[in-house]
Amino acid sequence: MKDVSHYGPALCTKFHNDYVLAGYGPFVHVYDYRSNTLISKCRMFHKNKVHGISISAGEEVLAYGARSISVVRFEDILKNESLVDSEKINSDWVTNGEFSSDGSQVYLLTCYNKVLICDLSCEVLSSKSLRGERSILYSGMIKVFAPDKVYISAGTVMGGIIIWDLFSETKIHNLLGHEGSIFYVTLSNNGSFVASCSDDRSIRLWDLDTGEELSVGWSHTARIWNLKFFDNDTKLISVSEDCTCRVWTVMESQKNITELSISNIYDVHLSKNIWGVDVKEDDMIAVTSGNDGRLKLIDLHLERHGDEETSFNLDEISQQLDIVFDKNETIKGFQGFSFGIVIITSLGKILQFRNTTKQWKLLLTDENFVAYSITNGIQAQNIVVFSNNKKDILLIRFSENGDEVMHVEQHHTTELSKTNNCLVTEYDEHSFLLTLESPNPRDKLLCLEIDFQDLKIKTKHCFNKPENFASSCLASFQNFVLVGSRFSTLAIFNLLNDDDEPFIIRRLCPGDTTTSIKFVENKNDSTVFSVTNRDGYYDFIELTKSNCESPHPPFSYKILHSNKMMKGFLEGAFFNSNGEYITYGFKSSLFYLYNETNCYELASEVCGGAHRQWKLNNVNDGHILMYIKSSRLHLRKMYHSVFPETLEKGIHGREIRDISICPEASADTDGNFKGGHIFCTASEDTTIKLGYFDNKTGRIRNFWTQRKHISGLQRCRFINEKLMISASAREELFLWELNDKYDKRPYVTIRQTLPTSTNNPDLRIMDFDVKFVSQSGDFILITVYSDSAIKIWYYKEEENKFELITEGRYKTCCIFNVALVALKNQLFVVISPTDGYVVIYNVTEYVPFTIDVTSGDLADNKLDTLVSGLPMPVLQLQVHQSGIKSLDYAVDTMRTSAAILTGGDDNGLGLSYLTLDAVNTPALKASDFIDSAASSTITSGILINGGEEAITTSVDQIVRAWKITEGKLTLADEKYTTVADTGSLDIISNNDNTEFDKTLLIGGVGLSLWRK
Amino acid sequence: MGKGSKDKRDLYYRKAKEQGYRARSAFKLLQLNDQFHFLDDPNLKRVVDLCAAPGSWSQVLSRKLFDENIDTDSEEKKIVAVDLQPMSPIPHVTTLQADITHPKTLARILDLFGNEKADFVCSDGAPDVTGLHDLDEYVQQQLIMSALQLTTCILKKGGVFVAKIFRGRDIDMLYSQLGYLFDKIVCAKPRSSRGTSLEAFIVCLGYNPPSSWIPKLDVNTSVDEFFQGCYFNRLVISDKLSHWNEEERSIAEFMACGSLESFDSDATYHDLPSSIANTISSLDPVQGPTNPPYKKALELKRSGKLTRSV
Repeated sequence: MKDVSHYGPALCTKFHNDYVLAGYGPFVHVYDYRSNTLISKCRMFHKNKVHGISISAGEEVLAYGARSISVVRFEDILKNESLVDSEKINSDWVTNGEFSSDGSQVYLLTCYNKVLICDLSCEVLSSKSLRGERSILYSGMIKVFAPDKVYISAGTVMGGIIIWDLFSETKIHNLLGHEGSIFYVTLSNNGSFVASCSDDRSIRLWDLDTGEELSVGWSHTARIWNLKFFDNDTKLISVSEDCTCRVWTVMESQKNITELSISNIYDVHLSKNIWGVDVKEDDMIAVTSGNDGRLKLIDLHLERHGDEETSFNLDEISQQLDIVFDKNETIKGFQGFSFGIVIITSLGKILQFRNTTKQWKLLLTDENFVAYSITNGIQAQNIVVFSNNKKDILLIRFSENGDEVMHVEQHHTTELSKTNNCLVTEYDEHSFLLTLESPNPRDKLLCLEIDFQDLKIKTKHCFNKPENFASSCLASFQNFVLVGSRFSTLAIFNLLNDDDEPFIIRRLCPGDTTTSIKFVENKNDSTVFSVTNRDGYYDFIELTKSNCESPHPPFSYKILHSNKMMKGFLEGAFFNSNGEYITYGFKSSLFYLYNETNCYELASEVCGGAHRQWKLNNVNDGHILMYIKSSRLHLRKMYHSVFPETLEKGIHGREIRDISICPEASADTDGNFKGGHIFCTASEDTTIKLGYFDNKTGRIRNFWTQRKHISGLQRCRFINEKLMISASAREELFLWELNDKYDKRPYVTIRQTLPTSTNNPDLRIMDFDVKFVSQSGDFILITVYSDSAIKIWYYKEEENKFELITEGRYKTCCIFNVALVALKNQLFVVISPTDGYVVIYNVTEYVPFTIDVTSGDLADNKLDTLVSGLPMPVLQLQVHQSGIKSLDYAVDTMRTSAAILTGGDDNGLGLSYLTLDAVNTPALKASDFIDSAASSTITSGILINGGEEAITTSVDQIVRAWKITEGKLTLADEKYTTVADTGSLDIISNNDNTEFDKTLLIGGVGLSLWRK
Repeated sequence: MGKGSKDKRDLYYRKAKEQGYRARSAFKLLQLNDQFHFLDDPNLKRVVDLCAAPGSWSQVLSRKLFDENIDTDSEEKKIVAVDLQPMSPIPHVTTLQADITHPKTLARILDLFGNEKADFVCSDGAPDVTGLHDLDEYVQQQLIMSALQLTTCILKKGGVFVAKIFRGRDIDMLYSQLGYLFDKIVCAKPRSSRGTSLEAFIVCLGYNPPSSWIPKLDVNTSVDEFFQGCYFNRLVISDKLSHWNEEERSIAEFMACGSLESFDSDATYHDLPSSIANTISSLDPVQGPTNPPYKKALELKRSGKLTRSV
């Protein structure tokens, strides 16, 4: 077994010149952060994780973690895959390590508040400690101020911080004020301050001279794990369990009071825990490392471009322009362009602001647009569009640099009785579309095609407006106009025939207003659109053109993908140039721009919330958010980051409870996802991630993070190449459909939800299994529950319905696993409850199918479906002392016998055989039992190669390969994994002509990809 | 334990309320005893409960050692419960708010025992969990070793030591180390401890330290130094860094405790056993909620003071 790649907690990170170093399991990764390349991946320790890194001026690197330490040359890290021979072990946990002032020695602070002074070959020269102070520490820091001035700050478990002088071994302060264990403490470079954080979730700033508590900073909503002073000790950065990174200002007020005040919050990691942080001061960027394995770069320079934030009120504009605004005059609308913005006032004044000159200019005043106006624009063409309620539209086109007005055009329309809504979208190379809508339901929906150059109306369309329609967003493709509306409705109009009834999609999601429609990609006759809804839902729909001669309806549609944002209003979404899905909207008083593909905030603005005039427009190098707050027009530029956003994107921040690799599609593989596999992970964080791994490099790509479950996941499994089932507590079980035929990304959506037993379900679905009806999409599903219930369902593909056909209960104990095993013409249910028994039911007569003796599939002989009670078990065998955590089986080629592999909480691994004799009498025999097959719970076990081999994972972090010969298990191989709380495994065979024929995905806190 | 329980599946929680235990963990000790009968020994006189708060194990010890109907303390039988946190009084139990690593604590216990050694020492303590699995496991093992330090100074030869463990990556190293001090080490999992949790208990039977080794508590020696020469704690001399080598590990025998008829802590129950069904929601919590260090942060959050404003 060979490890290929690993994604998991990154406990520490550090800048060094143009590099970022990160402790990634037992490895140190080195990245060139400007080019976003992983330069080196060097194993430092055999098993322990790298918790901290220090680098000397002489380019020696000290890595420490748990009881391990290593001092190596930085250039050796760049050159080598492994430096484990340099690993040294201390008798106690090493909490912190630092080089001496001249770099010739290292100081190691142990968790018992002792410092070992070592030379660079790790020989201990002397040890220092503070007498009487050796209770265990969660945190501590060595601060080297000068060759002879080294301070130790030790964070105790009882709320005190002991600061002592290393060489004199004397106590300087015992800082009291925090409650609970101290999780981090650091001293400022200038020797003025101490900053600390504890279980009480506050950050405290202390005077290092006097020991006085200067300020308490509250802001984080969970524990804080790391702190660092930067910007000449005027700022402090903190990272937390709450997944945010926060920047604080250390302010000295007039009265000589120093205060800590929160100045910025960055929501950048997945639940939960950010462990490491460092700042590169000359670039003013931070790097954070989290439990999610993500390395995130954060631009701390708030004015890198100089014009990130500007704001105006009419008075200021008035002064600059020397024009007078009416005292009741307000800004009614605005539109952003790369050259600047254009606004209209309530008295019809149209003004332009240019980025280059920072000057305002009055373009014109139009009486027609007094009081009521709507502002739109076609950014790429520098066209701004105004409309009023009197059926007028005013169009202005600017030169490319915005310096000149190229064209002004006004149109009056007569088709509607009144206009109260106007939307625009680009149409083709020469023109754009503009829709006008009236509040009168009997009026038509007017659509104008307008030329980019002369702004003349090229064509005019009067469409039949559907009932209950209020247009909210617009898109076009080919000769169709897509209009989004309230009631999560979408109408598609044909520009070639105004009289065609629109094709209407109603109730796309449970939300109300459709906020955006965007073309995504197409293939053959199908086109994919992304549709967002203000209530947080987004869907990807596939529209397929009808092939008939006179097609009506002209399309068929299908939801390919559906998901919901965690909270807040979703106002729109688009794909960026990297193919990442970017969403934006509001969360309480905050506007956000969010990378949905990889789950992190790109930018945010405290604008006061959604109830205001606002607009987000694309500009050359990012976006501009315009909004009105307290009568001020705020312009907030959100530039694309000048640095890579992430160096590692990471995975789940909590335990991965199950992994499933999508089996190779049987046909129609056009190579989109060749060389690897689509897979999904189900996590304690309640999400399911859909990703792709490359077999050879082990690199993982995230596509989607599905938030349908509301409780921690128990299971997920692909039941064939396009269907996946996930299950969790609260009786949640979803049938998902995967679509991987498009080029850019796969899509996944819920096809059906399993009925629950009550309206307020509190049972946990522990496991499930399926058996397909031969040559069909129909299958039998069996589910087992925490109350000992066992249910068998029949899923009919055509009806898309789960129908309960058998239910019963084992005892009262929880059932951990279930399998459906077909032997000859009999169908058995195998369960493994917490009592350690393997229990067999014969359900042949309880399902409306016969069993195909050659394939073991169900054969549809049109038997009647009758709901019936589960029969009594036919066989029971106690294999384990307590809970059986893993269950797998393999049927022999004759289909008369099944090997059953069970792994237990009792550290045991059992091999039993379920057999059928000539007259179909079943028997269950224990064949082998290894009672200490692991030193801790065996959490998963999979039989491979037809049951001749098995792979197990266990909480002791050892992956074991077993050979099975004549019913006996022998250990063939074992290898340590850095994935803690190892709990899930999936294996797939490779056909890539390498020495490895299997790929293993091992999950827990993190994910490892191995080959065997 | 609060008044309303979110977790309907937890029958042990309900049972604890019904029987007046401060925490459901009382049943873990009872089920361990069902298997090993260490509390049924009529000669059991002096017992120590370390990291005892809120005190459910001390309650079990009290009920096992003393007849509830007789309100007089036996001269011979003594229960001492030690914790850094304060504990409400329990009949027949002397509670000490003290640090188990401090020699003074040892002196106080020995004083209470009239300089006699203890027959039984237990610890159900667990530190705050950070989410760093390796650190959490290490700190838990250090806590066990701290308890063990005191235990070695106080336990009679042949005595029993029981402690909570989390079966993680290095649990086999702990088993191996304990093997030097006791005749038999068992990893026991009571049915009342959830199968989905890594929690288990080491039951160390027959205290039998190396004859040449004299344990001595000192505030200035580390746990590691304390056990020097015992010989177990790894072949490392303190203040010297060694090369990496695979450490001695052994796997302790696993034993599930509590009969299969006892409640399953992983199961959801519908039809409640009649003894429990009637009493549930009406019972007040026996022990008030604790006073967490982040109490002020919670208050600020509740009053909207931690809402994002930048």
